[in-house]
Amino acid sequence: MKFIRKSPLFAIILCTGFLFTLAAIGGKDNIYSSQEYHPLKAPVLAIVFTGINDEIYPWQIFTKDVQETSAQPETEENLQKADAGNQPVTEEGDLQEADAGNQPVTEEGDLQEADAENQPLTGENASAGMPSGGRNEEMPGAEADEGAITAVMPTAVPEAVPEPSSGEEEKARPTPFRESTKEEYLNHISADIYGDVGIINAASYEFAQVDESYFDDALFIGDSRTVGLRDYTDLSEHADFMCETSLTIYKVMEEDFAGMGSVEEALNAKDYGKIYIMVGINELGRGTTEDFMEKYTEVIDTLHELKPDAKIFIQGIMRVSGKKNSGDAIFNNSNINARNNAIATLADNRQIFYIDVNEAVCDEEGNLTADYTFDQIHLLGVYNDLWKQFLLAHGVVE
Amino acid sequence: MINFSDLEFIFRFLPIFLILYYVAPAKYRDMVLLAGSLVFYAVGEPVFLLLLIALTFINYFTGKKVKEYGSGYKVHKWQEAKRKKLMAAAVILDVTVLAVFKFLGTFVSSSLLPLGISFYIFKMISYQVDLYKGEIWEKTDFKSTALYFTMFPQVVSGPIMRYNEGEFDVRRNYSLEQFEDGLKYFVIGLGMKVLLADRLAILWNDLQMIGFQSISTPLAWFGAVGYSLQLYFDFWGYSLMASGLLVMMGFDFIENFHHPYASRSISEFYRRWHMTLGSFFRDYVYIPMGGSRCRKSRVLLNLAVVWLLTGIWHGNGVNFILWGVILGALIIFEKLWYGKYLSKIPVIGNLYVILLIPLTWVVFAITDLKQLGIYFGRLFPFIGGAGIAVNSRDIIKYSRNYGGLFLAGILLCIPGVFNFYEKHRKNPVVILLLAIIFWYCVYFMASSAGNPFMYLKF
Repeated sequence: MKFIRKSPLFAIILCTGFLFTLAAIGGKDNIYSSQEYHPLKAPVLAIVFTGINDEIYPWQIFTKDVQETSAQPETEENLQKADAGNQPVTEEGDLQEADAGNQPVTEEGDLQEADAENQPLTGENASAGMPSGGRNEEMPGAEADEGAITAVMPTAVPEAVPEPSSGEEEKARPTPFRESTKEEYLNHISADIYGDVGIINAASYEFAQVDESYFDDALFIGDSRTVGLRDYTDLSEHADFMCETSLTIYKVMEEDFAGMGSVEEALNAKDYGKIYIMVGINELGRGTTEDFMEKYTEVIDTLHELKPDAKIFIQGIMRVSGKKNSGDAIFNNSNINARNNAIATLADNRQIFYIDVNEAVCDEEGNLTADYTFDQIHLLGVYNDLWKQFLLAHGVVE
Repeated sequence: MINFSDLEFIFRFLPIFLILYYVAPAKYRDMVLLAGSLVFYAVGEPVFLLLLIALTFINYFTGKKVKEYGSGYKVHKWQEAKRKKLMAAAVILDVTVLAVFKFLGTFVSSSLLPLGISFYIFKMISYQVDLYKGEIWEKTDFKSTALYFTMFPQVVSGPIMRYNEGEFDVRRNYSLEQFEDGLKYFVIGLGMKVLLADRLAILWNDLQMIGFQSISTPLAWFGAVGYSLQLYFDFWGYSLMASGLLVMMGFDFIENFHHPYASRSISEFYRRWHMTLGSFFRDYVYIPMGGSRCRKSRVLLNLAVVWLLTGIWHGNGVNFILWGVILGALIIFEKLWYGKYLSKIPVIGNLYVILLIPLTWVVFAITDLKQLGIYFGRLFPFIGGAGIAVNSRDIIKYSRNYGGLFLAGILLCIPGVFNFYEKHRKNPVVILLLAIIFWYCVYFMASSAGNPFMYLKF
């Protein structure tokens, strides 16, 4: 008691610290299992606070515990399924098929298999990942070998597009040639699993020079880079902007933009003819190229569904400067390029286009030109005009 | 770890150190503090730890001689001369070491500038001069001297305490109340650093990201004020944390800032800002040169030298010299012409300080002279002309984002607010508030440690 009376602040800090520590230890293996923790650098209670930052609150220990114990068997089952999806197939026959899909093939019969692999067999993929086999029926295109392909696909296309497509032709998208490895995942390396197929395909389109009125029915969606474009060019006199610092592809559809509501609301409220999107730098350290690509594909398809007539311009993620590139394990250009290669494959050159502003702002080595940036990531206000000019040179006119 | 606003320091180094410190019997606590300080310094600066140790030995033994020649019933002339020579030799050595490493740090590589050298060398100089002048009454054994030079709360960035201000031979005040007071200073300092200064730093970073040529004039002024607040709370917060730590160990509080923004002249501002540095220059440069008690022209020269040195001491760019020259000029002008009017008319002096000081901080902040010119062009567009790609409404966005921080910062610049706290620091509501500030700081430190981009999201 004397202690509390003489040193109340110290007492409160010790007590609350003790409680936070209890919460951290209690939640370490469940609600905080995703929080990174370095025992030498920080106290265990730090995960309570990093958790709060990720919207995980200490009282969820109790609610989550109940959920998890009741759903235990199911979780385990799902886990097994997920494992099956992530690991190379085990049955011998399937393995052969997988090989056929990944290697250059010579025999005619195999070629068909390979072709089949490059086709948007989205329904099958979904069926591999999910217990229900219902989706198979939606795919009349899948024929005799279907069973085998279904088993193969998880290896080749781990993150499939669960999009019920109306016409497969239109949605023909290249598939990744391999999976990200666990090492790449752990080290935040974005695997280049698409190559330059998408980039080359997208670049084959002949864009037209347009004037500013072209942007009268345009909507720009993006992170802080796009904030710069909005604030330091006169594009905002023509186009609408839904952009916010630290926006990611994971948040873009849920975000409530000041004064404009959600993206969906904005698309319903106004008849946009062009939708430009550039996100991806903030989430470089999160997940794999596949995770990013899955979400990106979902967003683009949603945008397309919401506004089927609008042209969607996927903008490649702007690179960082050479200094940043060489000194940063996550925010570097090889990671950016790998993800750009992935999202470029979404372009169909009819409704969805891929454009890459890096052409206009990077130096010969492909890094963001040093003179154009102070913080190695953002264009200085005045150089956003280069981006605007690039957009003016990359219009789509029918 | 050498940063006080860091989880590793607060939850790893500090608790272990404090437990050892208080578990040890009182007579061994100095040894614990000395060992802790060397560990602390070694973590931040493993190589130049040897330099600190070598300088400690040299300064201790010269000081010992200086003291020996000066003690006794009668000090002979030859003894006096010897003392003076020894003291001068030690001071010259200290200054040379500082100058050499500053030079290397500037022109070769910044990694060659040993951690905290500007601060611990100043302590060594003050130690030599005070010993020579016979102003150190406390005992100066090796342990206490080494402690004075290296004690971890002060070794990196001050305050530049005097030897007499440290309780090296008298019994320190070891009590729970004293510990509690120190903890409170620490928590307030931590709050200023983490919740104000570190957040305001994003504003200044944003202005650089945009490019000075593209900021509007209102935003340029807003940025100047923001930077002034950032610097103030960064340094005041740091000083409170450092002194708070010492109070927790039983030492007296060392004041380093006394509400400078309530000053009515620039010279008063610098009597209240980084007070231990100001008084160092006063006692060891200005007064030895003659101070104010000589011809007017000599006084002006003395002031000019002090402020030129202040500028050079602060950093290794031309802008720092320019900053020192501007301040020196303003202080000379005050002395020569308008100083007396400033103190007579109440509001005018305050406005003069509040308007001019942020402008001098802009000079302090921008190391590239061309960029500095651009910034002043934006501050005074009628001289600097129009900017490029300026967004005239940027101030709306930034005042919305930083308005709250500005309000909190400006409130804390008012002496009455802090005095109110001092008066009510034992009030349960205030204590609860401090606990909340502490954990809120922990939240920011934790979430930015896991993700270094917490502060700078793209």
